[in-house]
Amino acid sequence: MANLPDRLYIDKADRVLYDNDIINNEILYGKTRKDQFLFTMAIGFKNKVKRSLESREGFFLAKDLHTKDEALIDIVAVYDNGSVDLLHKREDVYRIAEEYAHAGIRLLYDEVSSGQPGSYFKKLELELTKLVESINK
Amino acid sequence: MRIEKIILKNYRQFRQAKISFLRRNDSDLHYVIGTNGTGKTNILNAINWCLYNDEPHLSKDSQRLPVVNLQTIDKIGIGKDIEVAVEVWAETDDDAKVTFKRQAKFIKSDDGQIIHQGTKFELMTDDERGNTKIITGEEADGWVERFVPKSIREFFFFDGEQLDNYFKEATGQNIQHAVFQVSQIDLLENRVERKLQEILDDYTKDAGKMNPKIEIARAKLEQAQSQLNEVQKRIEECKKQIEISRIKIVEFADKLKGVPDIEALDQEKQLLLENFKNTKDLLKAKKIEKEGLLIECGSILMLWPAIEMATKVIEEKKTKRELPPPVDKGFLEDILRNESCSVCGRSLDERSNKRVHELLGEVEFSSETSQRLVQMENPLWQFKEKAESFDKQRKSTEGEITSLDKVLNGITQKISQIDSQMAGYKDEQIRDWYRERKKFEDIRDNNQLLLGGLLENRKVAESTVEEAKSELDNELKKEKKAKGLAKKVAFCTRALEIVRSTREAMMAEARERIEIETRKCFFGLVWKTATFKDIKILPDYSISLIHKMGYECMGSLSAGERELLALSFTLALHQASGFDSPILIDTPVARISGLNRENVAKVLCEVSTYKQIVLLLTPDEHSKDVSKIIDGRACGRYLLTLSSDENQAILEVL
Repeated sequence: MANLPDRLYIDKADRVLYDNDIINNEILYGKTRKDQFLFTMAIGFKNKVKRSLESREGFFLAKDLHTKDEALIDIVAVYDNGSVDLLHKREDVYRIAEEYAHAGIRLLYDEVSSGQPGSYFKKLELELTKLVESINK
Repeated sequence: MRIEKIILKNYRQFRQAKISFLRRNDSDLHYVIGTNGTGKTNILNAINWCLYNDEPHLSKDSQRLPVVNLQTIDKIGIGKDIEVAVEVWAETDDDAKVTFKRQAKFIKSDDGQIIHQGTKFELMTDDERGNTKIITGEEADGWVERFVPKSIREFFFFDGEQLDNYFKEATGQNIQHAVFQVSQIDLLENRVERKLQEILDDYTKDAGKMNPKIEIARAKLEQAQSQLNEVQKRIEECKKQIEISRIKIVEFADKLKGVPDIEALDQEKQLLLENFKNTKDLLKAKKIEKEGLLIECGSILMLWPAIEMATKVIEEKKTKRELPPPVDKGFLEDILRNESCSVCGRSLDERSNKRVHELLGEVEFSSETSQRLVQMENPLWQFKEKAESFDKQRKSTEGEITSLDKVLNGITQKISQIDSQMAGYKDEQIRDWYRERKKFEDIRDNNQLLLGGLLENRKVAESTVEEAKSELDNELKKEKKAKGLAKKVAFCTRALEIVRSTREAMMAEARERIEIETRKCFFGLVWKTATFKDIKILPDYSISLIHKMGYECMGSLSAGERELLALSFTLALHQASGFDSPILIDTPVARISGLNRENVAKVLCEVSTYKQIVLLLTPDEHSKDVSKIIDGRACGRYLLTLSSDENQAILEVL
């Protein structure tokens, strides 16, 4: 059995983006690194953008992932791969998640940097409402 | 009794003055006209000082000055004596002459200070032989009491402007007090009733010496009586406190009319500010909650295609019975790799190898993958539920945020309303007035509570007294020797009962008489005869003025009308009192105008046919209308002016 990766990584350059005042203290205020990661991963996935990490830096430990967190990461990998085959290859699963998160944090940063303060949640709410509508159709 | 003349020496503005009040057969009306500050009111004070050794009507300016005339102080040398004296010359109904004289000695010290050396009061009258008799001490005070008793002087020597206040503040209790004093019913209580009680106590004490049981019963009665008296005293004190508070509350309410309650508004504002802060915190928490919901559900909703796909895959696998897998894929791969059975260790032959390959073809994924898919199933359901409830949760939180926003707006509006109400009123004195009013409201409420308890206590104390009385009666009856005493005790007890019931009857009679006289006088005085219907002095001695339409209208009287009512009541008290003493009124019509003023002048002229009236008028009061009525009737008319240095009053006969 292959060694399980003990942590999930971000691109070194993304650290400052996660630590950005608006992102860390407003949008993702009070969230753990893991939650922050899952959210940026979702943004990347939603926008269908993945980016390879140029230089890696550990962001949080894999043991902190709960079943539902693992599930989120797994479904992204399944969707990305088009099959469930790679689920047991945790390194690949995490790599996919990391690449989406890498793209996601950059998209989030661009959004935050270009928008008015406090406008992000309004946009997000609108976006989610539309998503709900499309799901219910 | 009437005042014949007043002689003033070195008394305040009066360095040397004599005011004579000679009467005519048809009238005994006199007046002194003087502008404010010339010393009019000090004539009233001089009479009070002479008879009672006080000056109740002193202005604030005069309170700071010595009683000695300022010009005299200025002219007198250092170390010299100054004598201040006021003489009130009176004549009794049988034409006897009585002179009341109060003298005060002062000395001017080296540093110019005026030092009081002593005061002397004496009375001079003619004895049977025509010799002048000088009376001092208690006997002299007794004469004053017969002239105008100190306790009721306010109904004889008074300030017309204060009459209004008297009636504004009038309550059942002080009207009862006035009726009680003026009708001299207090004499019945203070003298007869007390004396009888003393005699009764003496008799029962004597009886007690004969029989110890009687003494015990007597002591018990005495104790019960003293407890009852104590409760009664406390009730009176309590009622007094309630009345004082009530008057004060009215006084402060007058001052605060139209003025906002700064203290209460301030407190309300502080509460609102606190509420604002709490609501704002709550709103912030709700917004954070909503943002948390957006982030949490955001991840799920954005990953929705992946959730759907994973759900679909799992469903298919389950339908194909591939989930969970019958054999682990990794386990089969291991057997093939090792070419031996992982369970028994036997080497794989061709047949076994073929069968393992067949199985591997049937099993699509490993047990780890399968396990992950199984583990995924439950979270996927949770994600779906979350996604479904998201909109409902979002709307609910948004609703709460909107209503909190409304609450905040409401609070902000209230705060700005309070700010505009308070603008320009941040005066500490207003706060003090509100505090004072609150203090008196508390005193009133506490005393009302206390009074309730005390009235109950009185009932108990009264029944204890009755029990003790009957116990004493029984003991006295048992004792033969005490039979004689018992009769005396019974007599005294009965006499006391009669005195008490007589007192009640007299009070009722006086009340009725005063009511009739007040009504007669008031309707003669007031010009709005079509407005008022009746005046009643109710059993609790409160005064009720009934409007033509049948409702109580005391509260809606103007200041002038209140003064007329008070004057009517005062004149009625005179009728009921039996005292034929003079009436001296300072500024009698200052607050009354028009027809009411003329009517007051007419009534005073009418009263002057049987009673001496002395009026101290301002030139304004001595208007054309008034002078037309009183000038012809007045026997003595004076004009009071001040000397050029303003230290001496000059009295001129008109």
